Amino acid sequence: MRGGELIREARTRAGLTQIELSRLTGRERSVLARWEQGVISPPVESLLACVHACGFDLPLVLVPLDESMDAELGGSLLLPPNERVRLLLKELGREPARTRR
Amino acid sequence: MAEEALVFDPYEQLATLQRHHVSFVVIGAFARVIHGTAELTQGMDITPSMREDNVARLKNGLNDLEAKRRDRRRLDLNALDEPVMALRTRAGELKLVPEPAGTRGYDDLRRHASRESLGQGVRPQVASPGDLARMLGALEQPEQLPTLLRLRRLIELERERNRGWSHER
Repeated sequence: MRGGELIREARTRAGLTQIELSRLTGRERSVLARWEQGVISPPVESLLACVHACGFDLPLVLVPLDESMDAELGGSLLLPPNERVRLLLKELGREPARTRR
Repeated sequence: MAEEALVFDPYEQLATLQRHHVSFVVIGAFARVIHGTAELTQGMDITPSMREDNVARLKNGLNDLEAKRRDRRRLDLNALDEPVMALRTRAGELKLVPEPAGTRGYDDLRRHASRESLGQGVRPQVASPGDLARMLGALEQPEQLPTLLRLRRLIELERERNRGWSHER
């Protein structure tokens, strides 16, 4: 997960605009925008400052890496969306009608 | 008396709303499935545009789907002031969520939503994985944490995959 995505998530959940967050943190709005767009990554200190300014905390705790779901998710990512829905319906015990051409 | 179980038919729900030109974004578990989380769900959650003309179209679409409130109260879209309106339709469960947790509703979600082709001519707008994660996080429900972690991992894997592709080119 990108740090900028967490900033955007915290900002939008707090109902703040980039300008408002810029005022609260003293960071340039253009810098915030580039972080949120993933053009550049924010330093951890800046990430935490933005998250705190939005009224949230981001506990940084080291936990063991869990890759147990990667094979299933990776396989699903290779499928187009209509196939993912077809598999869901199959799991639910019903096949959807064939795609019309 | 127990409620009759209705078969979930997302194609019927989406095609009907599409036929009535309803503006909405698919959210929740079904949206996550479309993005690849491979989880199970038996219902559809949508965030409709609450503009007057769209609410009128939504009303027509819901009539077509024979929608009724799960709590058996009268279905009145003009008084849609509750966080979630749970409906039963002839094509299964459908929830209307005008302003999902952590968002400002349709106009907010539409910006990052994508139109996904699901076959049978159905092409709904689907909330972005990032916005779906935002909603799950805003619910602040510990039981949703595994779902949120799964979605975040999916986002990461998709990014790695795209990075790999761009390196190959």
